[in-house]
Amino acid sequence: MFGEHLSPCIDLNKELTDHPAATFYGRVAGDSMRDAGVSEGDVLVIDKSLDAADGDMVVCFIDGEFMMKYISFSDPETGHREENAMWLVSANPDCTPLKVTDLSSFSVWGVVTYVIKKIRRRQ
Amino acid sequence: MPLSKGLSFSDWGLRQRDFAEILNISSANHLRSEYNKFVELMLMYALVDCNNFFVSCERVFRPQLEGRPVVVLSNNDGCVVARSNESKALGIRMGTPFYQISGLADSGKLTACSSNYVLYADMSRRVMSILADAVPKIEQYSIDEAFLILDGVPEDKIPDICRGLVKKIRKWTGIPVSIGIAPTRTLAKVASHFAKKYKGYNGVCVIDDEAKRTKALSLTPVSEVWGIGRRLAPKLRSLGVETALDYVKRPSDWIREKFMLHGLRTWMELQGKACVEAETEAARKSICCSRSFADMLEDKEEISQKVAGFAAQCASQLRKEGTAAVHVTTFLYTNRFRDDLDQYFPSATIALPAAASSAQEITAAALEAFRMIFREGYKYKKAGVIVGDIVSADEVQLPLFGYDAGLRQKNDALSRIMDKLNPVSAPPLLRLASQKDAHYADGIRCEHRSSRYSTSWDELLEIK
Repeated sequence: MFGEHLSPCIDLNKELTDHPAATFYGRVAGDSMRDAGVSEGDVLVIDKSLDAADGDMVVCFIDGEFMMKYISFSDPETGHREENAMWLVSANPDCTPLKVTDLSSFSVWGVVTYVIKKIRRRQ
Repeated sequence: MPLSKGLSFSDWGLRQRDFAEILNISSANHLRSEYNKFVELMLMYALVDCNNFFVSCERVFRPQLEGRPVVVLSNNDGCVVARSNESKALGIRMGTPFYQISGLADSGKLTACSSNYVLYADMSRRVMSILADAVPKIEQYSIDEAFLILDGVPEDKIPDICRGLVKKIRKWTGIPVSIGIAPTRTLAKVASHFAKKYKGYNGVCVIDDEAKRTKALSLTPVSEVWGIGRRLAPKLRSLGVETALDYVKRPSDWIREKFMLHGLRTWMELQGKACVEAETEAARKSICCSRSFADMLEDKEEISQKVAGFAAQCASQLRKEGTAAVHVTTFLYTNRFRDDLDQYFPSATIALPAAASSAQEITAAALEAFRMIFREGYKYKKAGVIVGDIVSADEVQLPLFGYDAGLRQKNDALSRIMDKLNPVSAPPLLRLASQKDAHYADGIRCEHRSSRYSTSWDELLEIK
């Protein structure tokens, strides 16, 4: 039959989500990741199933807010590693890195895998 | 000693006749082979139960609620339908009307959330899909519970598989679950209570030998046993039966005389003998109203009116039978014989806070489900509504009734008038305005509803 020979169209759900049951979306507010090309209104694809690796962009919940940061296992200023510490680093010189030492009460909510950015602002 | 292997009828304290009747067997040969199967074959069941599910869903997207008293309210912000452990500790009970605790909420000691069933249904779907990927078969029992059927899975591997699932579901979805493992569904339910109650189990409790079974039953109030419940508990207490162990220690004749076959079935299940069939016919009954359209339809408005019509028919059928339903499913089909057209066969299910049979509640839920699945650009050939989890109208959980009894009575009264005026066939004379388009929440109070974070593009989490 005619229809059987059609190749299926690209399915962004399939391409952008490795773990559908663990994938959530978030909308960016503010410009803390400006220099990473992430700006207000962009949509983050967040995979909760992944373990955060050094250098990943992650979503975490700090002081009552969801924030996105790069996670760093070493001090971004000196490059030194410390036991039981990690750093949350913005991509914006106005924001200072946040050192996390109480790892027992800190957890990464999810790892950002893609950013969906609307380029054409006019309808 | 493993449960149930190598025992004879008399070891069970059972008469052959009872066994035959429970399994609905008439021939002696058949009976023997069934009995042999039952003593030889030991399947394990695992019940996965999401802890305080609705509250846990809220906490995934509002982590600030961790460790704090939280309740989720029924439709119309009527009464409490879910509690966090901290709210339980405050003495808040299921079914408590919201006005009685609104003071606590106003002073910030308690967070009250309007129910957000779209969010809960999506989170449930995620949990169930993880389970379905992990084991040969699951039977979803409710929005937050499922049995894993572990046929062919080596018995010694089961606890590790389940511990892995508890961790995985927590990490992937943020939802904490408890799993009870045992040779029968009823015992698995008992085990899941222990897994939930005691931290030491790390979410997984196994009942796989006589000692554990006896201990667990001695600690379980008979009112908590699946299939007995709060209705029969007072009668049992008056007969001196307090715990599940007291119950199984009574002879089968006594159980049979007082509680019929149903009671005997529970009695056998608690002994470790599986005899509750998967989803008994009565418990899983559903009604479906659907139709193929003469022409393929594309218009959202037009199809939604059809869906509302099917929902009203389902509701009317429920009322005629004196029953009520907990789940409302809407489905759509494109024309599968038209290879030249894009195909789409979606469905969505809404779980109602309490079983309902009024046209308003069923229709509103069916339309909400419709809105979740409808996509422009397809030519639809068929649509339908299924109402499921049907219970007898007098079995509708009473605590849920108290809260908006007024609204409920109004809905039911209106439905009765519709039943009288509308002839059985022919287009209905009187119908709901929502048979046009309405929002599920229209006219229903939901002042404290969280966003539909995981299903609505306009309500995503905000990330700074």
